[in-house]
Amino acid sequence: MAEPPPVDPTAERLRAVLAAAGASGTWDWDIRGGRLYFDERFAELYGLNPADGHTGVRTGIFFSAIHSEDRARMKIAVAGIVGGAERFSKEFRVQSPDGTVRWMHGRGQGHLDEHDEPLRFTGLLIDVTERKRTEERLRIAQSAGGVGTFEYVDGFATATVSTEFCKLLGLHPTHALPVRTINGVVCDGHPPIIPDAEQHGVSGIEPLHGEFRILRRDDGSERWVARRGEIVRESETNGYRFIGVLYDVTAAKVAEARLQELNDTLEARVREEVVERQQAENALRQAQKMEAVGQLTGGIAHDFNNLLTIIIGNIDTVSRRLGAGGDPRARRSLENAQKGAERAASLTQRLLAFSRLQPLEPKPTDVARLLAGMSDLLTRSISEAISIQVRTPPDLWGIEVDPHQLENAILNLAVNARDAMPRGGALTIRADNITIKAAPSLPSYVVPGAYVEVAVTDTGIGMAPDTMAKVFDPFFTTKEVGKGTGLGLSMVYGFVKQSGGHVEIRSELGAGTTICIFLPRLAAGSEHTAEEPAITAELGRRSETILVVEDDDDVRVYTVEILQELGYRVIEAADGEAALRALNSGDTAIHLLLTDVVMPGMSGSELADRARVLRPGLKVLFTSGYTRDAIMRDGRLEPGLDLLPKPFTYVSLAAKVRALLDR
Amino acid sequence: MPVTVLIVDDSKLARIVAGKALAELQPEWQRLEASSAEQALDIVSDHPVDLAVIDFNMSEKDGLALAAELRMLHPTMPLAIITANVQDEVIARAREVGAAFVAKPVTAEGLKGFVSGAALRLRSKA
Amino acid sequence: MSADAISLTELETDALTEIVNIGVSRAASNLRKMVGAHVLLSIPAIEVVSQRRAARLISEREITQLVAIRQDFDGPFSGRALLIFPESNSLELVRAVTGGDLSPQEVLDIEEDTLAETGNVILNSCLATMANMLQRSLTMTIPEVLRGDGAKLFDVWEGSNSDGLVLFLYIDFAVRERDIRGYIAMLMDLPSLTALKTLLGEFIERIVGDDG
Repeated sequence: MAEPPPVDPTAERLRAVLAAAGASGTWDWDIRGGRLYFDERFAELYGLNPADGHTGVRTGIFFSAIHSEDRARMKIAVAGIVGGAERFSKEFRVQSPDGTVRWMHGRGQGHLDEHDEPLRFTGLLIDVTERKRTEERLRIAQSAGGVGTFEYVDGFATATVSTEFCKLLGLHPTHALPVRTINGVVCDGHPPIIPDAEQHGVSGIEPLHGEFRILRRDDGSERWVARRGEIVRESETNGYRFIGVLYDVTAAKVAEARLQELNDTLEARVREEVVERQQAENALRQAQKMEAVGQLTGGIAHDFNNLLTIIIGNIDTVSRRLGAGGDPRARRSLENAQKGAERAASLTQRLLAFSRLQPLEPKPTDVARLLAGMSDLLTRSISEAISIQVRTPPDLWGIEVDPHQLENAILNLAVNARDAMPRGGALTIRADNITIKAAPSLPSYVVPGAYVEVAVTDTGIGMAPDTMAKVFDPFFTTKEVGKGTGLGLSMVYGFVKQSGGHVEIRSELGAGTTICIFLPRLAAGSEHTAEEPAITAELGRRSETILVVEDDDDVRVYTVEILQELGYRVIEAADGEAALRALNSGDTAIHLLLTDVVMPGMSGSELADRARVLRPGLKVLFTSGYTRDAIMRDGRLEPGLDLLPKPFTYVSLAAKVRALLDR
Repeated sequence: MPVTVLIVDDSKLARIVAGKALAELQPEWQRLEASSAEQALDIVSDHPVDLAVIDFNMSEKDGLALAAELRMLHPTMPLAIITANVQDEVIARAREVGAAFVAKPVTAEGLKGFVSGAALRLRSKA
Repeated sequence: MSADAISLTELETDALTEIVNIGVSRAASNLRKMVGAHVLLSIPAIEVVSQRRAARLISEREITQLVAIRQDFDGPFSGRALLIFPESNSLELVRAVTGGDLSPQEVLDIEEDTLAETGNVILNSCLATMANMLQRSLTMTIPEVLRGDGAKLFDVWEGSNSDGLVLFLYIDFAVRERDIRGYIAMLMDLPSLTALKTLLGEFIERIVGDDG
């Protein structure tokens, strides 16, 4: 019987060092002979005499150092080997003579003879005390942290697993699970948790880290698990072991998914906002374009005006220089030039108005009266093939606008309407009181409130929707080159906006167009103020006859029309001779002679004298492009005679004529 | 006349395996096969059979019963019970009926003992 | 009756594990002789569960088609042993066992037979060895080849109470060079478990002696 060696601190340290190094002891159990042999390290671990290891001891010694609690178990295990089992792999405690307990791992095998009778039992012994402690901590960590472990030996149909591993997959806790079962919990489209090495080769298991979506076997719930592992090669069997851990990462995955969702919707939301912003930018750009064009045209108009002043001035000079007795053709040309320049000036006025550099002079305006006052303008602009109707209610609200600009605007609309009806049609201008209520469907540019609506309707060719969208753009025109500048409607738009209103278009291709101008109502109480005499147009009677004498055809026609519009009966003559012939005819009563002063042949004053001879009591009204003083200086006119200076306006003519007739 | 060995086993594979092992040991011996106890008895009544290897686990009549019957018909015929069922009881019962016991899977090595013993007995008989 | 009422102690589990180990080692040795290649074995897993649980364990574990050789045993304890292969493996096993002597057609013809015989050798040697260790004898039925899913293999078990407890045993084996793998599973009913406990106790007594 071997004596336990004395406690030796050096030996103890050596033992510790060897334990740390993982050095193993070996044994050889001769089953037939009933002897146990072992090496120095084994002797050390067991606390035996190494010398006895060579000579051999009785087999019972194998159990002597084993902790009493593990002894029965170990005896059974060895019985297995002795009975013919091949594998031996057990952990047990060994108690050294000084009482310290250490954990050992014994790994051995049984050797059989040719008749399958057990012959020898050999094995290795390793000190695993430290590892046991680590394992214990790991086991605690596992169950606390929900980490499951697995070990798979390639070629086998099963893998060794921990309880926690089974729980993670919703499987009944067990030590071994078929690979099939483990992989069976994985959802379609995901690789297996324990891959088939034959299909992929060992490298097929790379990467060893993976995430899998699974359906738990117990409750069918969907979870995400992560696997981390490594390959350990088995040199003896030329195979490998796949060892790893599994843990639940569902919470992280769910958060990831939610973040992804948020990201996706974020993109969509950003896209929406970008679109909105682009729309706003487009609108702004449009407004800015309008603004820029306005400024541009304003600038041009200004320059134009200056140039026109030079032109007009010079023409004026030449005209005067030419004098009354100058070449009539030359004079005519100059006058045409003058007219052209004046028309150009008028155009630049409109441009300036459009560019808003021309300050508007808003005044309280009666739209009904304004429309009535425009009738000559309108008729002059519209052909006979088109019927004109102007309708206004008696209680129409007042507005505050620059009346000249309003006239311009309505005229513009009328001209457009005319151009839309080349084969004739009907033009209606209507004014109404409108109250616009707040509503969600109201466009952003419409401010709820009280308005006067002026609507110009034609029965013309109409517009397509895309045309409608561009119709207020400056220089946009559907007319042919040379017909219209395309500025008209953009000026209407500019004027209306500046006056605090808005414009609406309704149109149908082939049916007609209505353009409505909404102008804010003038606050009640401030209406009916400051009506200028210029707004009123005195009307004439059919019983009153006026003889118009004017050598300039244009001016004569213009004058005749105005007087006719005003309601007078008019006879016209192109020169003094014709006038006298008319006066001589005697069948018509002529109440007023309207004559130009400066005419070729007989002058106006000479005519007036001879006319009074023929019809005493005849009232005479002289018109002239020259100033009163100039005429009188020439001595052509007696003082006290009535003079209507040119250019005269509709209202000034009407007023003067009326005043004279009423005298 | 060549030595004739009867192989009795309901598994064709087992018959092939046994046949191979026998051929390895005694290539000149003639081999006959039966897939049941009944068939075996028929063959024995028609042919001269010198020795037999019999599977224990057969349906209807098991190998030990057949061995017992053959023992009665041919008291000196060398008989071997081949089986995976290596239980002590089976081994004992085989001994009782005077048959050798050979564990499956049958290999030349495993049969050697029985075959050389049987060959010896047959030569001495002749 | 709950699982706690009739469960194996730690020592009894160890003893049973060893006995199974011996039986399976013998079986592995025989399989080695038949296929001529090294056979690897896993440590047996042993559990006592209800039969319903056992049926569910099987269907949990095995989802696809299997080939199994089934052998029932009877004696002081009774039960059912199964040698289970994935279907894809079975022909490989046949080829390994028959060697290179047979033509492919002959191999196909002999497949059922070979599986039955292989199962016979393996299960028999396993069970017989176990019986020997426990110093008792068992009678075994003729092995039967079955194909189907796991639930089918264990669901019907004549003569047993469906609420009974079963001993569920599970050993994995692999023949790497031949790409053959499978496992052995055993079910034993409650009365058998009681008898088994007694036998195991005796075995422990013999082995452990005064240290028990």
